[in-house]
Amino acid sequence: MTLLPLDIDGPAAPPRTNGELVFAAPWESRAFGLAMALHDGGLFEWEDFRRQLIAAVARAEAAGGEFSYYRCWLEALQTLLDSSGVVDRASVDGRAAELACRPAGHDHRHDHDHPH
Amino acid sequence: MSPIPAPSDQPVELRTEALEALLVEKGLVDPAVLDKFIKTYAEDVGPLNGAKVVAKAWTDPDYRARLLEDGTAAIAELGFKGPQGECIIVLENTPTLHHLVVCTLCSCYPWPVLGLPPSWYKDPAYRARAVREPRALLEEFGLALGPEVEIKVYDSSSEVRYMVLPERPAGTEGLSEEELVPLVTREAMTGVAKAKSPA
Amino acid sequence: MDGIHDMGGMQGWGEVDFDPDEPAFTAPWQGRAFAICLLSMNRLTGRNLDAMRHALERLRPLQYLQNGYYGRWLLMAETLLTDSGVIAPGAVDARARKLRGEDVTEPPEPEPSKPDYTPAGPGSLRQIDAPPRFKVGEQVRARDIHPLGHTRLPRYARGRIGTVERIQPAAVLPDTNAHFVAENAQHCYQVAFDSRTLWGQEAEPFVLHLDLFDDYLEAAS
Repeated sequence: MTLLPLDIDGPAAPPRTNGELVFAAPWESRAFGLAMALHDGGLFEWEDFRRQLIAAVARAEAAGGEFSYYRCWLEALQTLLDSSGVVDRASVDGRAAELACRPAGHDHRHDHDHPH
Repeated sequence: MSPIPAPSDQPVELRTEALEALLVEKGLVDPAVLDKFIKTYAEDVGPLNGAKVVAKAWTDPDYRARLLEDGTAAIAELGFKGPQGECIIVLENTPTLHHLVVCTLCSCYPWPVLGLPPSWYKDPAYRARAVREPRALLEEFGLALGPEVEIKVYDSSSEVRYMVLPERPAGTEGLSEEELVPLVTREAMTGVAKAKSPA
Repeated sequence: MDGIHDMGGMQGWGEVDFDPDEPAFTAPWQGRAFAICLLSMNRLTGRNLDAMRHALERLRPLQYLQNGYYGRWLLMAETLLTDSGVIAPGAVDARARKLRGEDVTEPPEPEPSKPDYTPAGPGSLRQIDAPPRFKVGEQVRARDIHPLGHTRLPRYARGRIGTVERIQPAAVLPDTNAHFVAENAQHCYQVAFDSRTLWGQEAEPFVLHLDLFDDYLEAAS
């Protein structure tokens, strides 16, 4: 596991409180971890991700409205995955639509210790 | 540059979960590795690192001695190192000696233990006054030191970085190392405050 | 240089604006500015922390004060990138105005001019053979130098006498390293100054420590 210097001084560095990383919702931390894990696996160069992230942030700021850092993060990640042919946007949207049909309360992985 | 992506109908939470699921299925992501990254970055950084160093020093006299002898090495024992941490000197506060750290020329700060510097540390008022009227400045921060307390100020003008080892607050004798961590603030480790007392 | 950045002892700033719960970045662009700057330093312009600091110092006083910490980093990145010929002077401004919808001609791509300068090792610390010139306990005077370029000897200490308290690790000399001229690795000393020496007899009594390079010091006794 390669720790990038992101933790303190990273590219388009993530929101923090008093120096600590802040995830406003669990999905933000998953998006964060996904990028880290994929980079660690050698799927992309961190500089490429940063470039996409900066571009996504610029688009979000130009569009105005409420700003969500991790939306930009996710968008940057998706753009990279799209252009490298790994997972395209349509597949993600399709899977998301399937997940939307789940009964309430099943929004987590199945490798856990309670029955259902 | 890639084309601008079209907006999606699905909420971002579901898209994130979907993306993770697809990547796991393709064998590109191990969820355990993902979890570990989140935990590491969310918990093991920023002033929390310094707080752990302090709590250990308070509860382990041998560690305390090593920390004061060679701050960089002792801090690295806990896994904290990196940019702006080539040489960290730890300054021990006592009932009659109080240390204050500043960088008048820019805002040098011991990132591996304290994370990024807060606004007040970078404030011209702090940079200008810490080296000229530290006692008055500390009173404005809410810390009134008695006349018997000597003040030593450190201006970080080279690559040496400084971290204050605050005094252990009274009434904490029964607390474990883990319970002591939340009492240690970055203000205390920079010298503008004492460590917090237990609730 | 004797610039606005050298703030030690400056009066008239009033109280420190202190908020113990502030986030590290109060606006998203700040994180981005910080990131662009690190990208600039590390990849495009040669890893040189001293050059980065000096780029900050070269901002005009009002720019330095009005843009805040992260604004300064952004301007600093622009300076470094322009110095190295990665972007043309005025390119950032032109692009910003174009993004706002103005009809602007962007300047042509510049010739890259990244300094041909390789660090002798990681970081700033170096091993040197010559023994330190001064001993712990010795009295030294900070020289009254006024370099036009980068230095880490603050104005408030120049000409003042202090006592060596500690021999610090040897390191590259910022004054020459910042300009990609030479590393000039040398000893560094922690020097203690009595506050009254610096600020007059009426000053608060305390001891001030500075870490000063060999070139900044001369024997005092």
